[in-house]
Amino acid sequence: MIETIQLSKRFKEKTVVEGVDLYLDKGESVGLLGPNGAGKSTTISIISSLLKPTTGDVKLDGESVIKNPGDIRKVLGVVPQEIALYQELTAYENLKFFGRIYRVPKSQLESRIQTTLELVGLKDRQKDLIKTFSGGMKRRINIASALLHHPKILILDEPTVGIDPQSRNYILEMIRKLNEQEGTTVLYTSHYMEEVEQLCDRVYIMDHGKVIASGSQSELLSILSNEDTMKVQLNQMSNELVKAILEIDVVRHVEETGDSIKIIAKKSSNIISNLVKLADQQNIKIMNFQMENPSLEDVFLHLTGRTLRD
Amino acid sequence: MIPVFLAQLAKDRRNPLILIIFIAASIGGTILFTGGTETPTTISIFSEEENDQAIEDKWESLLNEGSDMRFVVTDSAEARENVQQGQSDVAVKLLEEDYKLITTSNLPTVDYVDQHVRTVFEKEALIQSAVEQSNDIEGLRTEIETTLNHPPLDMEVTSITGEELSSYDMGTQLMFAFTLLVAMFIIGFRVNNILKDKVYGLWDRLILSPVSKTGMYTAYIAYACFIGFVQMLTVILIFKYVLNYDIGERLDLLLIILAFFTFSMVSIATLLTGLVKKPEQFYALYPSVMPIIPLISGVYMMPGTITNPVLTFIGDLFPVSHAMDAIINVVMYDAAWQDITQPLILMVLIGVVAMGIGINLVERRTT
Repeated sequence: MIETIQLSKRFKEKTVVEGVDLYLDKGESVGLLGPNGAGKSTTISIISSLLKPTTGDVKLDGESVIKNPGDIRKVLGVVPQEIALYQELTAYENLKFFGRIYRVPKSQLESRIQTTLELVGLKDRQKDLIKTFSGGMKRRINIASALLHHPKILILDEPTVGIDPQSRNYILEMIRKLNEQEGTTVLYTSHYMEEVEQLCDRVYIMDHGKVIASGSQSELLSILSNEDTMKVQLNQMSNELVKAILEIDVVRHVEETGDSIKIIAKKSSNIISNLVKLADQQNIKIMNFQMENPSLEDVFLHLTGRTLRD
Repeated sequence: MIPVFLAQLAKDRRNPLILIIFIAASIGGTILFTGGTETPTTISIFSEEENDQAIEDKWESLLNEGSDMRFVVTDSAEARENVQQGQSDVAVKLLEEDYKLITTSNLPTVDYVDQHVRTVFEKEALIQSAVEQSNDIEGLRTEIETTLNHPPLDMEVTSITGEELSSYDMGTQLMFAFTLLVAMFIIGFRVNNILKDKVYGLWDRLILSPVSKTGMYTAYIAYACFIGFVQMLTVILIFKYVLNYDIGERLDLLLIILAFFTFSMVSIATLLTGLVKKPEQFYALYPSVMPIIPLISGVYMMPGTITNPVLTFIGDLFPVSHAMDAIINVVMYDAAWQDITQPLILMVLIGVVAMGIGINLVERRTT
């Protein structure tokens, strides 16, 4: 449905996006995962025809979006990272405005507004001013504004930034419904790997403007098939012990989390016996030991040596 | 385009306070600053010379002759105190053959009083120099007075249309000056909505919608024009029908001038919008620049007061001086359509050039 071909964007001397190839099939839910400044927003701005790439092309059903931006705009719903709403107007007035600019037929406008408000769970607050809404409610109306014209493709740029877990779950569930029940193609950008894990069929991981890995979740996690992730709970934390574990040649990463340490090490190694020996030498007791399933966060860490929030 | 226009209107309808404050500021400002010239004013005069009684008697009658102001002999201390405490704008200290104005302000009233007093003193000085050469002082004075009243050459000053020339009304000029100034602010703040909507991401959403770029700009610009024009129209109608100001017979021409001014001013605001990146920067720049423009253009002063070529050149770059020129011609000299075409054309020219550059800059700032 949509594909980008060697997409690059340069602002003066800085290359923000470099050689990005990605595609979205019809009805797919695709995640674009990466830390802040990875180039996700620039990539989706180019895909949605808001920005022109320095080089490369974006194609919708084989036709260049760069040459004919009108084609993609007709089928696209974009949810920006900002709350792009008129704060002085009510939720209903905002939706009516967006319905009208998207030329939703007058006869259908009212019913679509009500359906959309119901979908985002704010039908009973439709007459309230946006400026009186909580962050989560504003985010929901922000999404609703992009749905009135029934877009075939929905692009969401970090739509859950700065909101409470309840609103976040509501939004994720809403997007999942749109994708599964309405067949809307979704491109979802985030730096929260749990969201992408929960929502997306396939994931592109971006860093420093480049796609560094892509595939389904299982394909990405298979990158870590030669590694084990383990969580060790100690009776006391010791910096010496952490340093000593890092010196074991099979250990790739050690991270302190409260009274536990997370260790990523090569598979089939004698890491456990080494660990017990080191703890004994420092009179530290191992309270609990747990092998963990790797996450996309671990994949990112493996690929870049940094966490998503670094 | 229409939904964008209506959304702007809905925002102002929901929060009309700013518009009401601006209209009230226009009216309040005019009443505050023109109170001294709209009604007959009492001006204190006094002398501190040795023969103060004679000087005061002589000049009191001469100053009051044919004037709509009332010059009253007052105790010098009292006159000074009144000025110091702001109870009167100006007092006149009389010398034998000269005068001094006692004032603490630059209000238009002071210029108006100075103009009248200077005329009286200059005329008296002329008569004085003539009678000094004569033996029959009283006879010659009478002869001069008679000649002045029935001169051999009679010059008649009429308006452009040949009708009787009405006296220059500074109050009306100030009314229009304040109305235009306040409209400049409201127009600027509404044009700034383009920047605000860009920052909040609404502009991008509009770009992705079927609304064309031309339609988007047209909607924002048309709304700024609409709100500026409505504000000026409201103020002028209040002055004409509620406060009974004389604004001439050609309301139609006035509205045309205001429409041209509005377009031109919206363009200037668009140009300034293109010079900044954030709405906050516009809020800092615009109110700093705009109050200076009418001052440079001389719209608060009698025509011809500003003669510096640099200042007049700068003033001519902005529509307010041309609008004021056309308004004064219509209101005070009963000018017709053809008499105001030049200022109208200049306003269109400023508008087209500023709009072109402004939109170009706004686009460059974001791409």
